[in-house]
Amino acid sequence: MPSILIVHPDRKTQRVVQRILGVTGYRVDIADDLEQAIRLLANVAPVLVVVDGSAVTSPRAVELFTEARARGAEACMTLLGAADTAKMSSILALGAVTNLLVHPMPVLAEELTITVQKVIKNDLFGAEKYLLWGTELEETMITRGSQRPMLVAELSEQVRSRGQSARVASMAMLVADELISNAIHNAPVDAAGASYRKDLPRDRELELDERHRVRMRWGCDARYLAIEITDYFGSLDRDTILNALSRNDVRESGGGAGMGVALAYRSCDHLVFNLAPGRRTEIVALIDVRHPPTERLNASSYNVFVERA
Amino acid sequence: METRGRMTIEARGDALVLAGAIDESAALHELIGRAAAGRLVLDLGGITFINSLGVRDWIRMQAAAQKASLSVELRRVAEPLVHQLNMIIATRGNARVTSFFAPYACDACGREESLLIDALASAAGLAKLEAPAMTCPECGAQMAFNDFPERYFSFLSS
Repeated sequence: MPSILIVHPDRKTQRVVQRILGVTGYRVDIADDLEQAIRLLANVAPVLVVVDGSAVTSPRAVELFTEARARGAEACMTLLGAADTAKMSSILALGAVTNLLVHPMPVLAEELTITVQKVIKNDLFGAEKYLLWGTELEETMITRGSQRPMLVAELSEQVRSRGQSARVASMAMLVADELISNAIHNAPVDAAGASYRKDLPRDRELELDERHRVRMRWGCDARYLAIEITDYFGSLDRDTILNALSRNDVRESGGGAGMGVALAYRSCDHLVFNLAPGRRTEIVALIDVRHPPTERLNASSYNVFVERA
Repeated sequence: METRGRMTIEARGDALVLAGAIDESAALHELIGRAAAGRLVLDLGGITFINSLGVRDWIRMQAAAQKASLSVELRRVAEPLVHQLNMIIATRGNARVTSFFAPYACDACGREESLLIDALASAAGLAKLEAPAMTCPECGAQMAFNDFPERYFSFLSS
């Protein structure tokens, strides 16, 4: 029977996480530390490994993640509390953490549950999973490159007209612009995997046929503003994403490929990549509209999900 | 449908007033040729948006200004640009920020406002990461700075 392996030193948090994940019906195994977890792996085959942020930068964590993936784990997740946000760059540099949940509370139950259910059910797509029941999503199919600036401006206007702050509208604009731009110019690849539109001037008009069209959806449930961008190439892969998220040279020099993804990540609270290789890439950016900046952690969550064949 | 439009440049006094979006169409390098007496003064209060292509263009403009030994002064820097100055060190160049907008919120009436901070007059407080006191334009109560000072003011430390 598949299981979930939790590695956390604190007994109370172990119990909280166990209660949240126990509802999935999968067996939940608990380890106090990485040594114990590595020993446990000899006898279990977890679909998901959850490691506390305090332990994840240890060299043994990489060993655990590598071994877990070899035994069939779909995702290696880290929970990052307020005390550990300074470790963000180290965690990103590992390139082994596929899912990172930043949580100001002991555990962010909703996001943890959604993440686990997506992995277990192999049902990845749709921003609806992160929004309350009944939330309407506006949808636009982008068929021309020149729609991007217009759509981004319209999104900002609509977000403001629905009572959200200028800060939220500004974040939404940046995220939408970067993700649409990537979907139009970077996602299309030829049979050899070469990206044939990435060097085209971004202000040059491009007609987007059925294959090249890009879908944008967005909605807000008064907790999150969700912006979802989909392309139908499915060329983005896990390693490219993790490299882009971990790029320190974005901060230093601002240059090079992957800057759009890095900026989008730094401009939202949670960035979710849903990948169906060769078929579609869906990126969902979540912006927290409940809490002012001063009540949020100085780090963002991310999730990379790859659909199983 | 709303369009975000091209960035506009207008000369006003000793400054070039920029407004709109800094994106792939901004052509910021043209600003270098409009510097006067070795100074390039930019009023950025009207900037509404900057994307990654705009950031690249901005960095190139800063590098060109350095190469031309221009002194760059940034006035009334809008919040979207402050966020980039904080996130990407290279955007700062050798520019001197003399004033900038910052987010404030009123605990009494809930109003949020982007308010102008004089970086020179408030330099001592800002060095200690203390945001200057501001009054709510709606109810007159004291407003609170609405971000982490160590994050929002980090661009001033370079």
